[in-house]
Amino acid sequence: MISVNGLTKRFGKVTAADDISFEVAAGEVFGLLGPNGAGKTTTLRILATLIEPTAGTASVAGLDIRRESAAVRRSIGVVNGGMGLYDRLTGREILHYFGRLYDLSRERIDARIVELDKLLDLGETLSRKAGGFSTGMKQKIVIARAVLHDPPVIFFDEATSGLDVVARRAVIDFVRNYPSEERAVIYSTHVMSEVEELCDRIAIIDDGALIAEGTAASLAERTGADNLEGAFFRLVRSGAAA
Amino acid sequence: MRLPTVWHLTKKEILSTFRDRRALISNVVIPLLLMPVVMLGLPRVLGGIFESEAVSLTPVAVEGAEFLPEAMTGLLELSLIELRPVDNVESAVRDGDVSTGLVVPEGFDAQLESGEAPSLTIHTLAGNMQSELATGKLNAAIGMYRQQLVTGAITAAGLDASVLEPLRIVTMDASTEQQRSSGMFGWMIPFFIAMWALMGGQMTAIDATAGEKERGTMESLLVSPVSRFEVVIGKWLATMLFGLMASIAAISGYLIGGAIMDRVSATAEESAADSFSMVMGGSLTISPQVLIELFLSAVLLTAFISALLIAISMFARSFKEAQSYIGPLSIVLVIPAVAMQFRDFFDLGVVQYLIPILNAIIVMYDTVRGDSNLAGLAVTWISLAVFTVVLLLFAYRNFKREDVIFRT
Repeated sequence: MISVNGLTKRFGKVTAADDISFEVAAGEVFGLLGPNGAGKTTTLRILATLIEPTAGTASVAGLDIRRESAAVRRSIGVVNGGMGLYDRLTGREILHYFGRLYDLSRERIDARIVELDKLLDLGETLSRKAGGFSTGMKQKIVIARAVLHDPPVIFFDEATSGLDVVARRAVIDFVRNYPSEERAVIYSTHVMSEVEELCDRIAIIDDGALIAEGTAASLAERTGADNLEGAFFRLVRSGAAA
Repeated sequence: MRLPTVWHLTKKEILSTFRDRRALISNVVIPLLLMPVVMLGLPRVLGGIFESEAVSLTPVAVEGAEFLPEAMTGLLELSLIELRPVDNVESAVRDGDVSTGLVVPEGFDAQLESGEAPSLTIHTLAGNMQSELATGKLNAAIGMYRQQLVTGAITAAGLDASVLEPLRIVTMDASTEQQRSSGMFGWMIPFFIAMWALMGGQMTAIDATAGEKERGTMESLLVSPVSRFEVVIGKWLATMLFGLMASIAAISGYLIGGAIMDRVSATAEESAADSFSMVMGGSLTISPQVLIELFLSAVLLTAFISALLIAISMFARSFKEAQSYIGPLSIVLVIPAVAMQFRDFFDLGVVQYLIPILNAIIVMYDTVRGDSNLAGLAVTWISLAVFTVVLLLFAYRNFKREDVIFRT
């Protein structure tokens, strides 16, 4: 579903992503784990066609990110912690606004809102203006907006950042319950417990480079650590030492 | 470019701005009310002050009042000047006790009698409007007394007083009614149109660009399948609509004020306030042709200013940063508008119709005065349209730059 080959991104002298390659199959939740500034967001922005890679290529839902960028954007949904909402619009207006950008009919948008209301408990967020939302309410609409067009690929980039414990749990439950056989998810975070709970496979990124890939158990076994956190620190330290 | 998508983007910006009460007040209410107040209320207030100064008693500090001839004192009183004897005229004026003063030298009356041509000294405050009005009144009264003396001397010499005026000068106003009614301050009309196009559009432009970046909504918009060109055009259209709305509100306010003024003038005798209002351009009647020319120029100027606003505010990281970039733009509008006061002194030929903003202000000023010419209008409109397209392409180019979009 997602194929990344030698993806590299340089901003002047800084290499934000260095020859990154991985594959994500349909039905899989793939974790990108790394400290802040490791290159996770840059990688996801390239896959979302927001920025162009300096080298390498990738395909998302079978579409080339360079040649078919508009079709790629139609096939993805992006949720991140920093994504805001239009304060003067209600949740329903925001969803209609984005739904129309995906060429969804008014009826289709309303039907999806009913489905997502059941899944995310949107409730009063639909009729209230976003300016008065709590962070948890905001994140519900951000998720609904990202999956409104039912995309086959979803990117979560630090999606629980800044959320309280209840809102964070709502996001995690959504990721766990939402993927289906036909859908691929990339879940980017620096929180070990979220990766352990959600991801089928994990890629550890540090200083722009992918330094290890596998299941949480295989990474622990490979490094001789007791758990993913121990494996992560051993891998990052050995990467830094190298 | 998909026009329904562009309109969908524009509609969202319109809805968002309309729900911002501050934007509505600054885009519609203020220009609608401010124009009548500035163009009509202010002249009437100032005219009222002038009128009141003319009919009320004006205090004048005086040293040596006892040396004034009785006839002259009578004439000063008749001219509603109240002489207030003081020890030091200069300090009385400087301290603000009175706004003007008169020093009469010792033996002034005797010197006059003997034909020695004595001097009177008037103390005034430069740059003080009240002092200038009082000094003018004092000068006029003294001038009348001098005229009486000269006429008396001429008659005593056996000559006719008409020898003082061997020729007469008659000045005829060659300006058209439209030029006269546009007044000396007709330049304020294009200035206000340009200013409100800027002020009305800036909130939408900033909110739709730097505001989107600051809120974090820009990224979610750009991961949707909408093209960046459609986004630029959608945001520009919304900016233009609000700029135009503010300009139209300002012009409507002006026309409403003009209509009220006409009604008031029709029922009252012409007073100093009415004539001052006329000078300000407060009684301008705008014909349908003038209105169409003004509207087209305003639309194209607003299109240009909106493109400029989008191009500039896109660079900013935040709302505040965008405001600091856009602030100096008002200076760019003020300079050519103020230069219109000296319109009679410069004519840059076709060049003046090629420079955006300057050209629009010139043609709108000429239109208001009934002096517009089709060639000038055509060159201006084409120039504004071309520069708008160039700015939009520039904005689009920047909108594709990663360092601009992710500059937060």
